[in-house]
Amino acid sequence: MSIRVAVTGLGMFLPGFPNLTSWAEKNELPADDPRKPGGLAYDRVNRRRASQMGRAIGDAVAEAMAVANVDGVTTPIIVGSSIGEAGAMLGLLDKMWRENEPMSPAVFTVSVHNAASGLLSISMKNKGYTTSIAADYDTPAATLQEGLGLIATGTEAVVCVCADEASPRSLLEHAPHWDMLSAAVVLQPEGTEGALSHLTVDDCSENRSGISIAPAEFAEGFSHNPQAGMADLVDAIQRGQTGTLALDRGNGRGYRVTLDN
Amino acid sequence: MRPLLVTGYSMLSALGRGRQQHLDALATGTTGLGPSPIPLEFATATGDVKIELPELPTDMLPWSTRLARMAAALLQDIDEPLRRAREKWRPERIAILLGTSTAGAETTEVAYRQYVEGGKFPRDYDFQRQHTFGAVLTVVRKLTGCNGPSWMASTACTSSGKTFATAQRLIAAGVIDAAIVGGIDTLCTMTLQGFNSLQALDRVACRPFRSARSGISIGEGGSFALVEREGDARVLIEGIGETSDAYHISAPHPQGLGAQAAMKDALVAAGRKPEDIDHVNAHGTGTHLNDTAEANAIKVVLGTDVPCVSTKAYTGHTLGAAAALEMAFSACAIEEGFLPPAIGDGDIDPKIEVKIPTEKTTGKFERVLSNSFAFGGNNVSLLVGAP
Repeated sequence: MSIRVAVTGLGMFLPGFPNLTSWAEKNELPADDPRKPGGLAYDRVNRRRASQMGRAIGDAVAEAMAVANVDGVTTPIIVGSSIGEAGAMLGLLDKMWRENEPMSPAVFTVSVHNAASGLLSISMKNKGYTTSIAADYDTPAATLQEGLGLIATGTEAVVCVCADEASPRSLLEHAPHWDMLSAAVVLQPEGTEGALSHLTVDDCSENRSGISIAPAEFAEGFSHNPQAGMADLVDAIQRGQTGTLALDRGNGRGYRVTLDN
Repeated sequence: MRPLLVTGYSMLSALGRGRQQHLDALATGTTGLGPSPIPLEFATATGDVKIELPELPTDMLPWSTRLARMAAALLQDIDEPLRRAREKWRPERIAILLGTSTAGAETTEVAYRQYVEGGKFPRDYDFQRQHTFGAVLTVVRKLTGCNGPSWMASTACTSSGKTFATAQRLIAAGVIDAAIVGGIDTLCTMTLQGFNSLQALDRVACRPFRSARSGISIGEGGSFALVEREGDARVLIEGIGETSDAYHISAPHPQGLGAQAAMKDALVAAGRKPEDIDHVNAHGTGTHLNDTAEANAIKVVLGTDVPCVSTKAYTGHTLGAAAALEMAFSACAIEEGFLPPAIGDGDIDPKIEVKIPTEKTTGKFERVLSNSFAFGGNNVSLLVGAP
């Protein structure tokens, strides 16, 4: 993909690092501090409805939009997540098979993959485009590609946010466990004033040579998260890196992004 | 917008497999809805796919789920246009953009029940190959050899409508030359119980726009379409509207403002006027709120003379697959020159002020709006046109 766009906003939430600034300064919250996301992009009612992952998405989105100074009412939001609201799904399955109790309609309505994007649009009063997508470990690349498609066809700014909650241990008992993370970028047309960086998404390739930007130095739990590539991108731009960065940590199809100023 | 060329499409639902079986049912007003194959403690009708689905090749058996086998069937039924597309475009220039709401939930809920009851998952259960949204993408890539950008849209009941919009943008931007778009979803207990908890299921086959309507009937199936930069189009996607209600997570805006905006945006994108629309394939779920809001929206945007039919009375609500399946029904109306009768027990609700034809309508239908609305207040309207 040869579309080059500006990155004008960055945001991140990791348990222990509630925003990108705290991550950049390695200013981790003490272990006894509540490490839950605040859901800053939501209004009070929808913050209550959002899952922990949804709130982490809200925090990364709020931070990225503030940095880019874009309008929540009109800016499209693309939410990428590999397993989505899997925790809510497990809760529903437990109701069905373990407790043999009726489902909560409130839980069912926020178990859909687009719960976070829907709650964001309601909170921000955004009546335009929003979407929610998934592509396993290629979700960061897919989210950026969807955003590039919008920018290339005339959209002024797009928020791309990727998040996955902690891996559901019962369903992934033989896979490495991962912790929740959320990371967001704001894309705008090439040359937008105040750009932090410019990026192009390259075609996928199994050949991993030529990667010049090291991934973020996350704890192992974060590095297994399918959205680690988006957090690596946010980290690389925050560090002022240029060059080529992998958008997955080896489990995807080999998408990479080229960063330049 | 630059029109999107649909060069082939396939259909799978409670009405059968393939275009002809669907046309036969639509022409005769025959519903595919019936008793649920899934044991339930409440009454409801469902639209299950009754045909035997093709098994995946041996080396792909770890990915074999009902959802994946549905995808395999739908791919087989666009094999000819897909073969031509692969001769014309490089594999990395053919995207796979699909939509689903449930992904592999049907497989996981069966496996999880065994886990709860016996402490172990079935030996062949694999969450990453059978549940995740990306699992079916892997299957479609392997079966087709297409290697372009690929992802699942999952915006509940608009999911597969979104895939047409993404393909249109990526082709317009020069990123791809073609795409397999569409959607699939399977019946599962969790979905049925969830909609039951919302008191949104009709106890009999759903009755869109009828006075006695009391909810939806869930269906399963899907539709894939091949869309290309250039080629022999069967129909065109002339315009697409994508909006949000920004109102409520599960209820539509009472006046259908988001739906109005989606339809208006589709008209504007196509450069068409309301009087250019010959038919609406309505979202028409059969709930009081949805049908009333949508009818209001259609009346505001198109007036009251355009015939509106909800084909969910035939197939049930196929959730993430519905928008693609109903695009295919819209294409059938254009290609075959008839609209199916709006079926369902009881009289049309007198408060529904748009035209709901209860008899088969023949004529020339050149432009059809196909509406899909979803949880999260997500709306997609596709304007399907004759080439």
